[in-house]
Amino acid sequence: MASSLTWTLPGTWPLRTVTQPMRPVEPELADLDERALVEACLRGQSAAFDVIVERHRRSVYLLCYRFVSNHEDASDLSQDVFLRAYRGLRSFRGQSSLATWLYRIGVNVCLNRVSAKKPLSESIADRQFVDETAESAPDRLLKDERGARVRAAIAQLPRKQRATLVLRMYHEMSHQEIADVLGSSVGAVKANFFHALSNLKKMLGGEVL
Amino acid sequence: MHLRPDELIDLAEGTRAESSATHLAACAVCRLHLAELKAMMSAAADVDVPEPSPLFWDHFSARVRQAVEAEGAPRRSFWTWPRVVIPAISVATVVLAVAVTLNWGRTERGIAPLPSIAPVPVALPVASVDLLADPQSAGDTALTLVAELSSDMDFETAREAGLAARGSAEHAVTHLTGSELRELQRLLQEELARSGA
Repeated sequence: MASSLTWTLPGTWPLRTVTQPMRPVEPELADLDERALVEACLRGQSAAFDVIVERHRRSVYLLCYRFVSNHEDASDLSQDVFLRAYRGLRSFRGQSSLATWLYRIGVNVCLNRVSAKKPLSESIADRQFVDETAESAPDRLLKDERGARVRAAIAQLPRKQRATLVLRMYHEMSHQEIADVLGSSVGAVKANFFHALSNLKKMLGGEVL
Repeated sequence: MHLRPDELIDLAEGTRAESSATHLAACAVCRLHLAELKAMMSAAADVDVPEPSPLFWDHFSARVRQAVEAEGAPRRSFWTWPRVVIPAISVATVVLAVAVTLNWGRTERGIAPLPSIAPVPVALPVASVDLLADPQSAGDTALTLVAELSSDMDFETAREAGLAARGSAEHAVTHLTGSELRELQRLLQEELARSGA
């Protein structure tokens, strides 16, 4: 198993190679379920937390991105989510899944951030990360523009409506799970979802339909 | 009466069949609402998030690891403290009660109360001798005080006084080893410092 990660720094001559040591994940840790991983972390096995990060980093990042719409902030927020999770690991009681617990932390972190800071518009560099598919360039461009408009409209929704819409539409959480994350009732979640979609309609009009 | 928001959401998500909502067939307003909800859900679902490069994930994991390593071990939850604090306070109360009782007894017999500081090298009975002979205990005034207070009292005396019935906390305290006493002292000091005493 490779024990290091190597890449080349662009724009330097002669080419400089950076080697960053990577801690190999112990096979037995990779096989553990969530509860066992948490217990291993609490026993001081920090490599167990690496496994948790590896399993959930993408979904946490995507959640954060849905709130802030830019890569830099989403990256910082995701790191913050994991750090807070680590600090509060002892309070994880396994009543919900680790993913739901992380989402709860993520929603709180993101809502705190977005209320303190206006969401930034997406940079061109962010869009360059998009995995190009077989779509034609004009189709891709049209889809990107439409997506950017919808994202901007979502960013303007009230906090609970935004959180509800993000968790329901993009993380496929049930109304009950969203209610658990947001500390509200299923009825309130459905009402928030309804109002979020209605407000999107008002903001976007017929332009994306 | 029009359909409620939660009913419209159930219909839009398909968790409830439209045929079951008889009002819908007769109400153009609700049908329009439902169509708009479905259209917005479709538009929102079609929005991608730019996927970071694979290199980003390795870098991200390394950043989290550094932050976590700087953080140290996961913190003890607030709710786990009572498991430590309550026994510590109980034991502290017992120790103080024993100390006050013994000191009071000395005063009653015309013996001056023991000085609270300045460890005095005295010949002590079995349990305490080891404690004070321990280099780590030298100069530890609090530990010396506890040892001295219990120096002229054996277990039988304490038990006859009703202080240390076998199986009681008092019994446990009077049988603590040197290292256990030091740990008790550390816990008490931590608790006193936290409570601002």
